[in-house]
Amino acid sequence: MGEVIVITSGKGGVGKTTTTANLGTGLASMGYQVVLIDADIGLRNLDVLLGLENRIVYDLTDVIGGNCRLRQALIKDKRYEGLYLLPAAQTKDKTAVNPEQMKQLCEDLLKEFEYVLIDCPAGIEQGFRNAIAGAQKAIVVTTPEMSAVRDADRVIGLLEAAELRKPVLIINRLRPKMVRHGDMMSMEDIIDILAIELLGIIPEDEMVVISTNKGETVLSDERARSGQAFRNIVRRLKGENVPLMDLDGAGLLTRLRRFIGLK
Amino acid sequence: MQFIDQGNLIDDNTILVRRTLRSGQKVNFSGNVVILGDVNPGAEVKAFGHVIVFGSLRGMVHAGADGNEQAVVIAFRLQPTQLRIANHITRPPEDGSAAPDQPEIARIKDNVVTIDTFQSGSERQIPQKETDRYLT
Repeated sequence: MGEVIVITSGKGGVGKTTTTANLGTGLASMGYQVVLIDADIGLRNLDVLLGLENRIVYDLTDVIGGNCRLRQALIKDKRYEGLYLLPAAQTKDKTAVNPEQMKQLCEDLLKEFEYVLIDCPAGIEQGFRNAIAGAQKAIVVTTPEMSAVRDADRVIGLLEAAELRKPVLIINRLRPKMVRHGDMMSMEDIIDILAIELLGIIPEDEMVVISTNKGETVLSDERARSGQAFRNIVRRLKGENVPLMDLDGAGLLTRLRRFIGLK
Repeated sequence: MQFIDQGNLIDDNTILVRRTLRSGQKVNFSGNVVILGDVNPGAEVKAFGHVIVFGSLRGMVHAGADGNEQAVVIAFRLQPTQLRIANHITRPPEDGSAAPDQPEIARIKDNVVTIDTFQSGSERQIPQKETDRYLT
């Protein structure tokens, strides 16, 4: 039996879509059958990140409206065997779908796939309610900013109210150097407020922008630190126990200095 | 063994909230509110009586909301966004002073909302009913 996981955040721009794309490619590279649903109807992005934009014929609303069969709307990824995308409609809005239909869709997809990942739109209105309707598990993405953490907290409350207990947290775009200087919220500060299990931390990394522009995922870049962080998260998602990576990434000299107390 | 007069201590107009209040969540009650958990930023607690938080209070709190100036707010970590007692409204100083590391109590003293370290024991900090007698 597979699993339906929604990736959500409340606030926009914190990395939901990037996370969805990377976790999807990560799971697919391990040989799982994975489908990504872009639930952001009207503002679709996930297809662009995967470089599949020009292959869209049918979308989620076509499937739900019965204009096509589910299989016809699924787009096979270019690189990863076993990875599929169900794109969002760009010319409609969130009211084109209701939670019951999404629930049914997820059940249908579970018959063929081991992982169904749903990229939730920003906000807490209908788009959010649609996205979480069929999910069994939730991943909350936040960045180390007060506003993002506040929204994450609100979303966790709503998830709990919707019986999606025990959501897990990904902290995105952390800058260890700023945290060290006290200029950015630390992992501890965020966990202190949100009080949920931490799935992983992604360091700020310009490689994400570079790979996104190429329609690739940073996870497949062996050298990227953020890619390593995503690979670790995928393994944790499967239940493996992977320690948090050393985000300081400081050179030998800095580490030596810190060791002898010069900070 | 000496029993205390329990009759005087009964105050049945109290609710116990056994969870953390997250942003956007609200408790509104016409008596005392006891919270076993945190009150996060963006959450609200409004009570006619006292508010006691067994956790960090970071949201908005209003004790004595019907005008009761005897009401108090106690929290393990008192760091509210805004604290109101009766018709007094206060907010924390903006100098970013260090977070408290011990339980504190907020109450009205001489018409000003005052924050003190909470001490249990001899000094009675929560006003009881008029007839209040601890030991008989």
